[in-house]
Amino acid sequence: MHQILVIAWREMTRLQKRFGGGASPIAVILLLAALGLSVFAMRNTVSLGAGLYRAAVSGDVPPFQDSRFSMVTVDPAEGKALLEQHAVDVWIDGAQVQSRDDDRSLYAVKALKQDLEAQELERVGASYPAAAAFPLRVGINYLGPAPAAGQTVQGTVPLTKPEEVIIPSLTPPPAPFTQVLVGMLYIIPITFISIFFTSSFMDEKVNRRLSILLSAPITPFQIILGKMLPYATFALGTTALIAVLTHTNVLLALAIFAPTILFIFAIYLMVPLLYRTFKDTTFIAMLVTTLTTAYLVFPAMFTNTNDLAYISPLTLAVKMYRNEPFGWREYLFPSLPMAAIFGLAMYAGTRMLNEEYLMGYKPITRKITDAIYLMMAHIPSYLSVPLWSLLVIPGVYMAQVVFLAFATNLPLRIMLYAVLGAAALMEEVVKSIGIVVLAEHGVVKSARELLALAFLSALGFLIGEKLLLLVSLSVVQQAPVSGALFGAGVFLLIPLFAHFAFTTTVTFLRTKVKLPYTLALAVGTLAHFIYNWAVMRGGL
Amino acid sequence: MIPFLAVVKKELWSVIRDRTILIAVLIQLFIASFSSGLLLGVLSLYDPDTIMQSGSVNIRIGLVGPAGNPLEAAMMESGMHVTPYTTLAEAESAFYQNQVNAIVLIPSGVQKTEEIKLYLPDSDAVSSVIRMVIQGPLKQYENYLRGQNGIEVRYTDLKGKPSTSFEFVYSVLLPMLMFFPAFVAGSMSIDSFTEEVESNTLPTLLSAPLTVNGMISAKIVAAVIISTVQCLAWLALMQVNGIVIQNLPWVLLLALIVAGIASTCAMIGAVFLKDRERSQFIYSLVLLAATGIGTLLGISPITTISRLGIGDVYTNGWNVAMFAALLAALYLVLLRASRRVLA
Repeated sequence: MHQILVIAWREMTRLQKRFGGGASPIAVILLLAALGLSVFAMRNTVSLGAGLYRAAVSGDVPPFQDSRFSMVTVDPAEGKALLEQHAVDVWIDGAQVQSRDDDRSLYAVKALKQDLEAQELERVGASYPAAAAFPLRVGINYLGPAPAAGQTVQGTVPLTKPEEVIIPSLTPPPAPFTQVLVGMLYIIPITFISIFFTSSFMDEKVNRRLSILLSAPITPFQIILGKMLPYATFALGTTALIAVLTHTNVLLALAIFAPTILFIFAIYLMVPLLYRTFKDTTFIAMLVTTLTTAYLVFPAMFTNTNDLAYISPLTLAVKMYRNEPFGWREYLFPSLPMAAIFGLAMYAGTRMLNEEYLMGYKPITRKITDAIYLMMAHIPSYLSVPLWSLLVIPGVYMAQVVFLAFATNLPLRIMLYAVLGAAALMEEVVKSIGIVVLAEHGVVKSARELLALAFLSALGFLIGEKLLLLVSLSVVQQAPVSGALFGAGVFLLIPLFAHFAFTTTVTFLRTKVKLPYTLALAVGTLAHFIYNWAVMRGGL
Repeated sequence: MIPFLAVVKKELWSVIRDRTILIAVLIQLFIASFSSGLLLGVLSLYDPDTIMQSGSVNIRIGLVGPAGNPLEAAMMESGMHVTPYTTLAEAESAFYQNQVNAIVLIPSGVQKTEEIKLYLPDSDAVSSVIRMVIQGPLKQYENYLRGQNGIEVRYTDLKGKPSTSFEFVYSVLLPMLMFFPAFVAGSMSIDSFTEEVESNTLPTLLSAPLTVNGMISAKIVAAVIISTVQCLAWLALMQVNGIVIQNLPWVLLLALIVAGIASTCAMIGAVFLKDRERSQFIYSLVLLAATGIGTLLGISPITTISRLGIGDVYTNGWNVAMFAALLAALYLVLLRASRRVLA
């Protein structure tokens, strides 16, 4: 513990030296101020389609602000001419809106509709008594489940919530966007902070101080934890600060975002361990930021419309801001995989943190397989192979969610095949890579060993898969997607045999037939894809 | 000139050798398709027009109330199926037999403020779609009631075409694909310069017949070349997808200039700070602040490139020239600042 604190303290002084002295603190403060100011000023003006339309205005038109429109005030004759010359897209002449027949002009009319409606509402509200200006009230009620036969006495249908009365023109239908954006507010500082965490390792590596640190009587685990401590504390502090500023429950916000912080740190721990040149770091960090953002934001967009949204902790944040309750299951569903990934990354980090591994320049795929070997080498293979298959399941799961987000862009028919194919590929990689790596390092030689390990790998994967399915089924009831991805087979023996067969195919093609790994993988994936497809068709 | 080209070539070669540039290209493809997928997904959930257009949603409303009500016509016009019932109990039993998805109850008799009731299923997914779709007819009905109260509401008959995907393509997709390579170019410039400094290879490089300015400029040129190649690829991809982009040469030139601006800015920071950590941090902050301030002042390259792309009459080469002037000014600053490298 003491050693961890010492390293943490050292990390603080390093940062202080970096950012202390000279003009840089002032520059950073100035920049942050400029940033805050512009964000503050832009919060209402930035929208989809900024600056796209031009409108000419003549006569009595309510003034409105919309960043999509550039307005010119003209006399009526000129307005007509400008419209005909395609110089403006619409011409608002008093109460009339004139447009052309081409697409751009019609788009502008549609965009204008929202603004003019809002303006009219304001005018009507200001110049007439409220009862006349807003003459409609809608009481919204939610009907409970069907009452038992014979109980339906008139007018006593069960309602699940108290009546909610709205005025249609003043109450927009519910959408989670604003709360998702607030949720994003938490993620951005965490990402920035973790970039400094990455830099810290790079610094040690470039300056060759890591060798000294590694020769000291401390374990790699203590080094990583010590370096992470100040940044993690800082990230938690920022989370608490945002929670205070946005007037919400601080402890709840910390509970929601703590696993996310661990997850982001885990991923950023891999960046300095894998990089070879500075450009690598930039690209890998960009990839990581994009994928984690997609993973966090995409599901949260569907809060309250699909239970699959619970994959992302941002969904919990959205619920928190809406004062809607959620239970332990909903909390653990996104949090456990993230914590599991953190654990795995910490273990991988302690194995990879040695000079020989860090300093070599090799192709990036080689680097990754070496890392996997380092993780497995110290444990007997009959334990390490199934454990590996079991423990990377949360990672596979997350990768599949990101891929699903990616695939929503494809046409529905192709999307299904793409998702099935990608799922098959990811699973085959995960199950076979450990065995292949061990075989390449000469740890595994005989065909019998390969068969046994392929079986263990399939078993480990299946157990993990079913555990995850069990957890997700308890939360996600209406997600056939999740069922399709994880092959919700009833009989465990058939999927076990299938997994075993595919893994054996891939590992034998690679190690005995000496095919390139990609080719071996392609064969295994194809077989797995056909199996998945058959299961889907059979509706198992 | 030859050493200059040699540095450009070395930079390009190292990027090709590392192959991690592919990650950056993949990210752009990912963001582009992710955001358009997201937009379509969200539209199909939150935009009544799209929900009804897709035809996959069939909303059946049970209506209890006086016949010939304008709300009934408005709901039918927006594509909902309306079945009249005489009592609420009848409608409820139809609801539980899955004949209708929701019930609207309009009380008889005319009041000044009318209170109608909406009965929705308890499932969040279904009820939020219904609330989304019924919003339009309710507003129309509200306007009708205002008319009964003697209040005239203007601009109620505007139609137009759903504009979201047009706005998305030209104000998000095109700027994103044209300027993300520029952002990458800036980061790459910082990386390739600070790596020379931090691993002490700079003195060796400068012992070649090459000035500091030559070396820095070569690194910027290499970054801009890579970003131009990406922009060309994206423009081609958009053409293949049937997205028409006007003023193509100006669009490409603006993208190239912005890549130059980003790399020059990044390099100025790197020359002052000489380490990757601070340079990248300051660079990201400057970029964010510059985007914000540019938008506030109304000279954002994002707006300019959207307007060039849709063929706006008032946007032309002069707007691009303004950014070229900015690039020239920044480059002069860099030339003055680069003296610090040897200090």
